[in-house]
Amino acid sequence: MAVLGGLTGGCGDAPPPAGALVVAFDSDPQSLDPRFQTDANGARLAGLLQVGLTRADAAGRRVPELARTWEMPDPRTFVFHLRPDFRFPDGTAVTAADVRSTYEAVRDPALASPKRTALAVLSAVEAPDPATVVMRLTEPFAPFLDATGLGILPAARARDTGEVTIGAGPFQLVSAERGEQLVLAPNPAYPDGVPKLHPVIIRIVPDETVRVLELRRGGVHLVEDAPEPEMVAWLATVPTLLVRRSPGTSFVYLALNLRDPRLADRRVREAITLALDREGLVRFVLGDAARPATGLLAPEHWAYAPARPPRHDPRRARRLLDRAGYRGARPGAPRFRLVYKTSAQPVRRRLAEAVQTELGAIGIAVDVRVYEWGTLYADVRSGNFELASLAWVGVTDPDLYYLAFHSTMTPPAGYNRGAYVSRVTDRLTTAGRQTFAPARRRAIYARVQHRLAHDLPVVPLWWEDRVVVQTRRLRGFEPSPSGDLRGLAAAYLD
Amino acid sequence: MRALAIRRLTLLLPTVIGVVTLVFAFLHLLPGDPVEIMLGEWAAPADVAGLRRELGLDRPLAAQYVRFLAHAARGDLGHSIAFRAPVGRVIAARYPATLELAAAALVLALAFAVPLGVLAAVRRGSALDRSARLASLVGVCLPSFWLGPLLMLWFSIRLGWLPVSGRGGLAHLALPAVTLALGMAGILVRLTRASLLAALGEDYVRTARAKGAPRWRAVGVHALRNALVPVVTVLGLQAGALLAGAVITETVFSWPGIGRLLVQAIQARDYPLVQGCVLAIGLSYVAVNTVADVLAGVIDPRLGEDGR
Repeated sequence: MAVLGGLTGGCGDAPPPAGALVVAFDSDPQSLDPRFQTDANGARLAGLLQVGLTRADAAGRRVPELARTWEMPDPRTFVFHLRPDFRFPDGTAVTAADVRSTYEAVRDPALASPKRTALAVLSAVEAPDPATVVMRLTEPFAPFLDATGLGILPAARARDTGEVTIGAGPFQLVSAERGEQLVLAPNPAYPDGVPKLHPVIIRIVPDETVRVLELRRGGVHLVEDAPEPEMVAWLATVPTLLVRRSPGTSFVYLALNLRDPRLADRRVREAITLALDREGLVRFVLGDAARPATGLLAPEHWAYAPARPPRHDPRRARRLLDRAGYRGARPGAPRFRLVYKTSAQPVRRRLAEAVQTELGAIGIAVDVRVYEWGTLYADVRSGNFELASLAWVGVTDPDLYYLAFHSTMTPPAGYNRGAYVSRVTDRLTTAGRQTFAPARRRAIYARVQHRLAHDLPVVPLWWEDRVVVQTRRLRGFEPSPSGDLRGLAAAYLD
Repeated sequence: MRALAIRRLTLLLPTVIGVVTLVFAFLHLLPGDPVEIMLGEWAAPADVAGLRRELGLDRPLAAQYVRFLAHAARGDLGHSIAFRAPVGRVIAARYPATLELAAAALVLALAFAVPLGVLAAVRRGSALDRSARLASLVGVCLPSFWLGPLLMLWFSIRLGWLPVSGRGGLAHLALPAVTLALGMAGILVRLTRASLLAALGEDYVRTARAKGAPRWRAVGVHALRNALVPVVTVLGLQAGALLAGAVITETVFSWPGIGRLLVQAIQARDYPLVQGCVLAIGLSYVAVNTVADVLAGVIDPRLGEDGR
């Protein structure tokens, strides 16, 4: 090995070019084309390559991007006024015609874009002049702005059937070796300051241990997927690396299937909630890299309503189960058994073990079943589960409450996988869609949150912190709570 | 010899069809809808149905199978769902990496295992023999998901000699090749030693020695030639497995080969790509083993004559 290493040192171990930043991803983005991109890693890069009319800020509010301003002359019409200085990498200005073509392409059934449903309320897109876009809706729909983050492509390429990655974002895609690496270079025409990092290399490193070793060795400069707590602790001791923790918005919860008569009983759901020691779980499972959650929206979100986190009270949990009529056949025997389905991720497996122990303490026996993600996802979608650990990532508009908890939104229509039914929640989440005034909308979603905290259709666990490990040479980078890499536009290497 | 080659080649087709049939059947037993995974939860039902129709997933399983076989016979393996590119092109882009890794591991394993096996057999019972047997046992027992990171820790992090992962030049190749080669070398050392010991006890070796052949000639020319027949057969199986993609090693070392591609395809429920990968793997496996069988016939012409 020494001989081989000595003979070949420098042959293929060329360091990345000076000025290059190497970011490690666990898997290939499935698509970098805004018309087709639906996966998390694709979303993390979308903000580097393309710009949308609007984008979400850290509080989940829509803020201007390509659109300088917008107004609503009536509840069915949005008028966007574009910035004139955004250009594609070849210097061509981004105009209203590009916006119209991109939206029309996504709406075209022939393209079979997965984003077509999100634009279902859009009846027409007009471009009266190069700097103005008018969007007409079929009905008043407050969450529509959330769909205006769609990356804009050049009009001439908007209907291409192959992958189109050209955009007016701070970077452009130079090369892509699928499964290996993507190379991004600055967009010389980016109006908010041409990025200094040149190039940004996205390396695909599937194994977590290897990502950590690459960081330690200097082959990778930035990892945003939080490694295991023990590894983070080890990396924190490396002088060349900086471990940064910031509050995140990813919401981890226990999904409950309310089709099961035991879980349909609110007392049982409350007992499960009271049995879990969230502080302990955060400490044991995540090494304190999370905050115990009260619900879907994190405190940073504009629509968050302050609430008291669920207590840890096993004694009351046992009383509730007694009252619900679930008693063990004999002392020490379980009251009933539940099957808990989880993915094979180490953190999720540890969570399953902890939940098994804590529910066992109140007399609920838990059988843990570990599945590969595709199988777990299919089971949850088809309602074939009792308990499952899941997460919501990248929550922006609170209309997610409608999609996840309205009684009509059971799969395949939406995300109400536990089949929760509440007329109050249905009414409130419908009203939230039709209300534009921010203060009134906020009040509506505060009531939704209180309702769900009472009904407990899911058991909130925690909001995961963003744990970013980076080289100390990287300056000016602000990690985003959602994990997107837009912060690299303003970053540089010492 | 020619008869042996023809016999092996005629077995190729049914073997490959058998492999493809099994994979097709098992793949469709997996839960999870590839179209839903591809389009996401929010796809319009009409789009889901359209894509399912386009991919032929709305047809009966038997019709899908016949269609796949017919297309494969024409060299059309379909379109990858995840990569949005022809399956043949996606596989062709990854295969060189697998070939490179497999060749390096094979060369390393052979260069290490055959001489050590011969020395262990010739000096049977010596300290060298005992050490070789112990080393080969360790090589066979170490799992690559453990050995890989261990080698990285030592040679990349502690000594800083080699890169941790990725594909580049020879330096990138060293650790994954050694990880793969160690297990194979362990098997080959033991096999070479055992075969050579058996051959050394044969009458023809004693006769050669009685006729005055020097010891190196009796071992190196007479005994080793026959001892290599099982080694070549096992080598063929091992090389076939390497070409099938060292899934774990390729994943651990971020090596962009066919093994990693297969894992990606399975995770994305990319049926056309999984089928294409397995077909390519099956063909490689059968081809390498056919070559190994023919090679064994060259070393020992009796194999071709008696029809074994």
